[in-house]
Amino acid sequence: MTDREAKLPWVIKYRPKRIAEVVDQEEAKAKFVEWLRRWPNVPKRAALLYGPPGCGKTSLVEAAANEFGYEVIEMNASDFRRKTDIERIAKRAATTASLFGTSKKKLILLDEVDGIAGREDLGGLEAIIQLIKISPSPIVMTANDPWDQRLKPLRDVSELIQFKRLPKRDVVRVLKMICQKEGLVCEEQALEYIAERSEGDLRSAINDLQAVGEGYGKVTLSLVRELVKPRDREHDPFETLRNIFSARYAWQAKLALSQSQLDYDQAKLWLLENIPLQYTDPEDRARALEALSKADVYLGRIIRTGDWGLLAYAIDLMTAGVALAARNNPRDKYRWVKYSFPQRLLLLSRTKELRSIRDDIAKIVASHMHISMSQAKSEVLPLLMAIFRSNPEYAARIAVGIGLSEKMIEYLAGPAKGEVLAHYRKLKEAIKKEAEERAVSKMISGAASPATTESKSLQQRSSSKRKRKKEGTTTSLLSFAKKK
Amino acid sequence: MSSEKFAELLWAEKYRPRSLKELVNQEEIVKRLMKFVEEKNMPHLLFAGPPGTGKTTTALALAHDLYGDEWRKYVLELNASDERGIAVIRTKVKEFARSKLPGDVPFKIVLLDEADNMTADAQQALRRLMEMYVETTRFILIANYPSKIIEPIQSRCAVFRFTPLKKEDVVSRLKWICQQENVVCHDDALDVIYEIASGDMRKAINILQAAAALGEVTVAHVYKVVGLAHPKEVREIIQLALAGKFIEARDKLRTLMVNYGISGTDILKQMHREVFSADLKIPEEARVDLADYIGEIQFRIVEGADDEIQLTALLAKMSLLGKKIGFTL
Repeated sequence: MTDREAKLPWVIKYRPKRIAEVVDQEEAKAKFVEWLRRWPNVPKRAALLYGPPGCGKTSLVEAAANEFGYEVIEMNASDFRRKTDIERIAKRAATTASLFGTSKKKLILLDEVDGIAGREDLGGLEAIIQLIKISPSPIVMTANDPWDQRLKPLRDVSELIQFKRLPKRDVVRVLKMICQKEGLVCEEQALEYIAERSEGDLRSAINDLQAVGEGYGKVTLSLVRELVKPRDREHDPFETLRNIFSARYAWQAKLALSQSQLDYDQAKLWLLENIPLQYTDPEDRARALEALSKADVYLGRIIRTGDWGLLAYAIDLMTAGVALAARNNPRDKYRWVKYSFPQRLLLLSRTKELRSIRDDIAKIVASHMHISMSQAKSEVLPLLMAIFRSNPEYAARIAVGIGLSEKMIEYLAGPAKGEVLAHYRKLKEAIKKEAEERAVSKMISGAASPATTESKSLQQRSSSKRKRKKEGTTTSLLSFAKKK
Repeated sequence: MSSEKFAELLWAEKYRPRSLKELVNQEEIVKRLMKFVEEKNMPHLLFAGPPGTGKTTTALALAHDLYGDEWRKYVLELNASDERGIAVIRTKVKEFARSKLPGDVPFKIVLLDEADNMTADAQQALRRLMEMYVETTRFILIANYPSKIIEPIQSRCAVFRFTPLKKEDVVSRLKWICQQENVVCHDDALDVIYEIASGDMRKAINILQAAAALGEVTVAHVYKVVGLAHPKEVREIIQLALAGKFIEARDKLRTLMVNYGISGTDILKQMHREVFSADLKIPEEARVDLADYIGEIQFRIVEGADDEIQLTALLAKMSLLGKKIGFTL
């Protein structure tokens, strides 16, 4: 056995090459083989293979393609977002001569099409149906649950082929065969236990067998009892982190995320928080964070461009990239660490009130100055803070001028909030007084239409006040100019 | 609005030119826009150029000259980075475009700032809006990076490229404002403001106002307000990271981002400044390495990555470098 082979996941190493090697599913096999043999002279141009995970859907497609001389082009259903994608794929399938000069027939395999039913936009679904119509190659899809209402249009154009959950004895039989080929000592009861827990999912059973067998060189009941967990629940964040960090192979790390409660966006934050705790060597740490950083760049590009095909690379980097970063100090991978909840989320919830005040200020400044809120926050707020903490009188006038509330003033002024607020309240008082005076003078001048001496003097006063107002601004500006 | 005695505005707004005639630079652009005013007709416009070069000012002045003092009635101002998603923009534009045109106005204007922050999909939707309502509504798109605007939109717009302001233009404007405000200002201080703002007029005026609030506009005051606005934590973060105190550096960074709300790009800019400050005692080659790291991280953030993840990765690289050069606190 070569070194490279040794590192293959057993699910790939022992994948059936011939239809006959596919375990069980005789009915499905017959139906599918018949459909493929007759293609394109079939009532339905696509086939939809459905059934529980790990029961042989993909294996059958690959084995059949192998026997019938098809080249399998595997696509993830989530790649289908836009019409242009379809055209690209169809073109690829149509070009019969491949790079290596062979002119094999193509078969397009779309895995997990039921995933798109849960998505917000169903554009992908339409795209797939379009592809089925125009494709020069047979299209085979797999799904766990094809009965979602939204998948009806897809069911209508597909030959439905059901796969059944594998019986326990068949799973045990395959496990036994692998144990023999790998030269592993296996207890019968241990294999029964693994098969039981797999609930008919052969893929997960083989993965469990490899995890125990490779790690310990034997498969005993006591070992599997301790190590093999039931498959029917997703791993919590702590288990997920442990599984990613301790993964020795890329596929193990990737599997850890796919079995997690965390989606990739959450996993990103958990990894960010805990990489520095798990890895102590500066180089390992930098390597792991670099992988996470690159994964994050891909995620950003996905948002910008809508190209979900990039997701696979992001996931590779944030799982395998992180797991295989511990090169200087590989022991760190298995170190027991008390993982920490992402602090950013805690900090954000703790500072919620402050941030909402800051956002309110930014909104006012943004609309006042015709800029964005983020520009207001990064460019203007720091300078306002500087003003509010060093010149309370002037700050108070700005607060009045652009309409800040007392809470906002407190935020900007910090330790100087008392002074700024005192000035601010004085100004508000003065404004109120002036408004009242103005109203009174209006009333008087309106009531006594012939210019009495009194109203005249009032008018005079108000006009001279206007004059003073102008001088006032200058002097007050000068006054702080002179202050220092 | 209360009288001037009681209230003060932000100078960048207070002294914003109101009409195209008041604009002193970007002469070529102004000349072409005046033609639009004269003919009372214009295509969709795309204003592109660095921040603080007068794109928004020019757009508002154009609206003012087209519609007079009532211009606000005929202009819908949106900021793409504030309006969440194209759905909001679509609804607002639709509502605005549908309302009836008053007899004497040939069209209304939608002013969309920071349009380059929109995703490609959102821009496609925007393109459709521009076509749908072209009879009644013209769009002015404003962007820092025109290359981030999709081709079909660019080809539907008359593109105007704004160039960074010349030093004498910025300085003379700052001087003029000081005269209006009766504030004493020193020439060397204005030079420093220009250096810090590097051709961004709005930033320059903001710094001027904050410095003036300390008294005269002197070099010391300029540095003081800029220093107040840029906390010393950034230097400490770099030093901690270089000294291998990674976790401490990370925690400080996080507090800075959450408490001050400073964006990743701004922290990077300040880091960049610190790297070349004489106060940071490191070999000269290390400054170049650090600049390289910082630049790469800024690039990634611009690409749309997460601030905290990117900056944390940067700190890890700094720690490695610190170990190599034997940095201690």
